[in-house]
Amino acid sequence: TPLGSASSLPQSFLLKCLEQVRKIQADGAALQERLCATHKLCHPQELMLLGHSLGIPQPLLSSCSSQALQLTGCLSQLHSGLLLYQGLLQALAGISPELAPTLDMLQLDVTDFATNIWQQMEDLGVAPAVQPTHGPMPTFASAFQRRAGGVLVASNLQRFLELAYRGLRYLAEP
Amino acid sequence: ECGRIKVSAPIVRLGDPITASCIINQSCSHLGPEAQILWKLGAELQPGGRQQRLADGTQESTITLPHLNHSQALLSCCLRWGNSLQILDQAELQAGYPPATPHNLSCAMNLTTSSLICQWEPGPDTHLPTNFTLKSFKSRRGCQTQEDPITNCVPENGQSRCSIPRKHLQLYQNMSIWVQVENALGTSVSPQLCLVPMDVVKLEPPTLWALDPKTEVVPLQPGCLRLRWEPWKPGLYIEQKCELRHQPQLGETSWALVGPLPSRTLQHELCGLLPSTAYALQMRCTRWPLPGLWSNWSPSLELTTAQR
Repeated sequence: TPLGSASSLPQSFLLKCLEQVRKIQADGAALQERLCATHKLCHPQELMLLGHSLGIPQPLLSSCSSQALQLTGCLSQLHSGLLLYQGLLQALAGISPELAPTLDMLQLDVTDFATNIWQQMEDLGVAPAVQPTHGPMPTFASAFQRRAGGVLVASNLQRFLELAYRGLRYLAEP
Repeated sequence: ECGRIKVSAPIVRLGDPITASCIINQSCSHLGPEAQILWKLGAELQPGGRQQRLADGTQESTITLPHLNHSQALLSCCLRWGNSLQILDQAELQAGYPPATPHNLSCAMNLTTSSLICQWEPGPDTHLPTNFTLKSFKSRRGCQTQEDPITNCVPENGQSRCSIPRKHLQLYQNMSIWVQVENALGTSVSPQLCLVPMDVVKLEPPTLWALDPKTEVVPLQPGCLRLRWEPWKPGLYIEQKCELRHQPQLGETSWALVGPLPSRTLQHELCGLLPSTAYALQMRCTRWPLPGLWSNWSPSLELTTAQR
């Protein structure tokens, strides 16, 4: 089967990916809820200015959109995006004792998903020789910046996952 | 130091022989030249000690116990002194068995604790201090290749189960798991399990609810009842299938099974039952179409069917 077509992907891989997206979305929602409940930071819109100054990067997922779906590109962008969020979540370490378990779980699940994607790319023979890294991360200089950063990163991650979910669902369609 | 015991091996297999020797120093000067060395195992004198005077003037007695049948025993080297038996040295003897091969290793992913809980059958008691370790490594397809080793899981005292925490797991990748058991008489390992943690996820059962009759638009038909259920919340992100079982509360009728059913429904009508009869209903779910383990059955919901 041509490499670019979705049918070259095992159905179980796609089902697992969809499950992992839902799991990470649930973890992300838990982090957002706790940031709101514990630190009264509930709305990303209130933190746009701070977000710009912190320079929080947002990954592309253009190859996963149904209009321009390109399998190898989609997997690659998905993997790079997950690496980026892995780095952002690491940069948020020390966010607050109450949130640490939730943040750890989110980070573990994002890492698992990135590994799953990477291994599938290797199995398809489309993985680059060297695994990419996430590049420079913003510096969250205070506890407040880590919490505000947490709100923004979680919100961006949910949007990223929503796009990923649509792309994966499209790929999973028989 | 008046006397000193040496044993061939401090730990032997239960029923095996054990040989010990006891040397009495000349420093025990107040003893007569031909002092007789005696052996006691626990409280019982043991015949058969062979005594000799060594070149340096010390006395040595050697004894072989043909079958050590106690898992723990104290061997004493004694001398008769006047009317008493003087204990000069003691050795702690242990006997037992090498560890048997652990078997029936099984694991389940617990979403409440986010850990992989494995359990096994340890095999017969070895009568000796025995250490079990759950060992594992991350792998790829079919566990043929070993990738990153995972931190050993040491069960709490005497338990035949161990819990690998989330941070050591990759939920969607193969891992190979086995049990290693060790004591002074040997080591044994169980057969290896190759699994993907999420493929052995065990959900908690759903919650069943009766529907409020006052809110019913359509009256129930005789022999029918209505209920609804909700999946276990931590498993919401997992696609599942469920099955329902029911049985009349009175009498010996066995459970009847209904399924597959979706993991959530606001209203489900069950018909073809005995009218005006109290039924017990239970439900269980499993990850599906991806692999998983069935949850336990839910607690019973008791409902009575509509009368004729």
